[in-house]
Amino acid sequence: MLRYVIRRTGAAIMTLIAASIVIFAFIHLIPGDPVYVMLGDGATPDQVAALRARLGLDEPVVLQYLIWAGNALQGDLGHSVFFETPVTQVIADGAETSILLATMTMVWIVGFGIPVGVLAAMRQGRWVDQGLSGLAMLLASVPTFWVGLYLILIFAAGLGWFPSSGYPSIFEEGGLANLRYLVLPSIALAAPNAALILRLTRASMLDVAREDYVRTARAKGISPTRVVVRHILRNALLAVVSAFGFTFAALISEAVVTETVFALPGVGRTVVQSILRRDYPVIQGVILIIVCLYLVINLLVDLSYRMLDPRVELE
Amino acid sequence: MKFGQLLGGVAFAALMASPVTAQTLRYATVSEPPSLDIQMGTATLASTIAQHMFEMLYAFDAAAVPQPFLATGETISEDEKTITIALRDGVVFHDGDAMTAEDVAASLNRWAEFGSRGKLLGLEKAEATGPLEVTLTLTAPNGAWKSMLAYPNGGPVIYPADVATAAGGDTIAPEDYIGTGPYRFGEIRPNRYVELVRFDDYAKIDAPLDGEAGGREALFEKLQFIPVPDVGTRMSGVQAGDYDYAEYISGDLYGTVKDDPGVQVKISAAPIFGLMFMNSDTGPLKDNYVLRQAILASLDMEQALQVSVGEPELFKADGSFFPEGNVWHSTSGTEAYSEGDAEKAKALAAEAGYDGTPIKLLVSTNYKEHFDQATVFTRQLADAGINVQMVVVDWATLLTLRGQPAEWDMFVTHHGAIPDPVLLTVMNDSYPGWWASEEKQALAAKFTGTSDLETRTGAWGELQALIYEQVPVVKVGNVYSFDIASPALSTPWDGAPAFPHFWGASK
Repeated sequence: MLRYVIRRTGAAIMTLIAASIVIFAFIHLIPGDPVYVMLGDGATPDQVAALRARLGLDEPVVLQYLIWAGNALQGDLGHSVFFETPVTQVIADGAETSILLATMTMVWIVGFGIPVGVLAAMRQGRWVDQGLSGLAMLLASVPTFWVGLYLILIFAAGLGWFPSSGYPSIFEEGGLANLRYLVLPSIALAAPNAALILRLTRASMLDVAREDYVRTARAKGISPTRVVVRHILRNALLAVVSAFGFTFAALISEAVVTETVFALPGVGRTVVQSILRRDYPVIQGVILIIVCLYLVINLLVDLSYRMLDPRVELE
Repeated sequence: MKFGQLLGGVAFAALMASPVTAQTLRYATVSEPPSLDIQMGTATLASTIAQHMFEMLYAFDAAAVPQPFLATGETISEDEKTITIALRDGVVFHDGDAMTAEDVAASLNRWAEFGSRGKLLGLEKAEATGPLEVTLTLTAPNGAWKSMLAYPNGGPVIYPADVATAAGGDTIAPEDYIGTGPYRFGEIRPNRYVELVRFDDYAKIDAPLDGEAGGREALFEKLQFIPVPDVGTRMSGVQAGDYDYAEYISGDLYGTVKDDPGVQVKISAAPIFGLMFMNSDTGPLKDNYVLRQAILASLDMEQALQVSVGEPELFKADGSFFPEGNVWHSTSGTEAYSEGDAEKAKALAAEAGYDGTPIKLLVSTNYKEHFDQATVFTRQLADAGINVQMVVVDWATLLTLRGQPAEWDMFVTHHGAIPDPVLLTVMNDSYPGWWASEEKQALAAKFTGTSDLETRTGAWGELQALIYEQVPVVKVGNVYSFDIASPALSTPWDGAPAFPHFWGASK
């Protein structure tokens, strides 16, 4: 187990280095220059040259990479060209929104997708199942921004139950009540993913229910609820848990759209805006952190297999 | 009631409660502003925000005439190269210090040396010649001097001397945003908002508001500028009462909001206009004026505006660079505007010896209007037998590529409303397009060489005629963008100014 974790961590570090080189190369390969974006129409060549020098953009790209990587190793991701503040601060500012949004979304996904999937499987073929499966297909097919805009129109502009957009920190005036700003965005973001988890849970439950040991358990006279929870669901979850790794990746990319529609100050929107502004340090920093998160989550998913199913060998 | 239900009920009630912020103006912006040190940049949003903090020697009144603001008046020497400006007494900076001639001189000198429009004035030096008197020495007479000292976009706003001197060519850091305006700097939270706070010791001019001139008064306690990139969200945010004001609502939503009692529509009083530049440095269009005239003759602007804007109330196909009613309005040369005559274009192209060489049209997808206009133009030019190749990139890429003459023959951009023709990008010899023909330079010298308004407007008429003859740029037409506001917001203006300001506004 320990050897496995060490080996996987080593591989993760190699992936990280490779990813950082690819990110750096790709960003600098796109044409466009933050200096023109910052100085606007009236910039003279002298101003452009001066600003490029001040930002260190006049060095060769390889040297820029080495300087950046060296600093990143010491926890310094550089300064945002646009905000003129440390990248770590820009990311930290967006992290609260993104983490809370992801958490709330996962709560909807797990709290809705799994129980409803179980329910659909238990009522296989009946109208409950068909209704729920139809709903799941609908949710999975509708684009996130469309769901988001309609949620705003109905629940914010129409009924006035929730704020339309933005998110003040929970550490500011309003406290935990500020979480209401995240209700609509998290539902919009959860919808397609919860639908997928619902479908997966249902399919996986039905597969497991056909296993011999389930029939044996039933024959032994174990209560139906216990059969479903202990014998079927626990085994069915194995497939669902590994899907969480993908769901997380999907959340990151879909969050960009959701954060834009709901004007949330999250990391996803920051990185898209930074790409348009060619704010290299921010793009590099955010993507590096996303890669790290992705690696860690996949490692956790692999480790959790063993907890769910002791027969799994981690080698 | 079970404990769980109770907890759920409390949580739900807490989630639905909304805070009361009647004293804050919440302004939904398209994006985030770059540095608010507006001497150094020309971003519209930065000017909109920063004009509440930083003030200028002059300010435009409702008729767009510069009036003394931090100044009280001036005397001009016989040769028009020395201008002595008297300053208003009792003006205080946000740090509590009184504004002196030293502050004004340092700000003007920094702007002239490093500012994004600093070179336009031809300021040799600004000197404090008394505690409240500044003397400007110009390298040559400049008829537009007063407008330059009144235009906040990339203009000489007044900072304390030590701030201006210490910053030099670098942008001023937010903690040093110190001005004399009715609002002072609060804080910048990346991605969340820029906040300005009322300045209680503001030295108000004892006169009624008149455009940007006159007595400014901060009625809100705070102004918050919040980035809300999605236009649908900006609109429903105002309808839901989350924002008091939202800028740049797209034309296709005009029908939805114009009769909605839940919002006020603020159509811009300052039209922006699309421009298609031609490359005067290299390529097939370099100095082939007849070929350029062929291109101009083939274009039907009405059609391009219909496709890109749609709503007839929001555009006007007008070839004059300044709208009617403006002192710079002229119709010289505009008979060549928007002819949409493919036959004439073919004849001109043949006369120009055009051999079907592809013409590279650089355009960005970030501005939908640019792309729509370019698409219509490409079609119209094809009808006239002119072969256009669209090069579609994102805006940041376009900004880089247009600086490289070999990469393009034409590019599409837009221009904001400006107070004086000297600020038109096409008048700048080093702006991409690089139009600097002898005829232009002769007329430009006549235009800037005097403060006499009549001579200047006459020269501008000739310059506009030359633009339609040499075609360094093609004007697409006037586009009236619109903003929306909550019904409760009252502003001291009806049509939205180029940089909406909120002194004198309340709700």
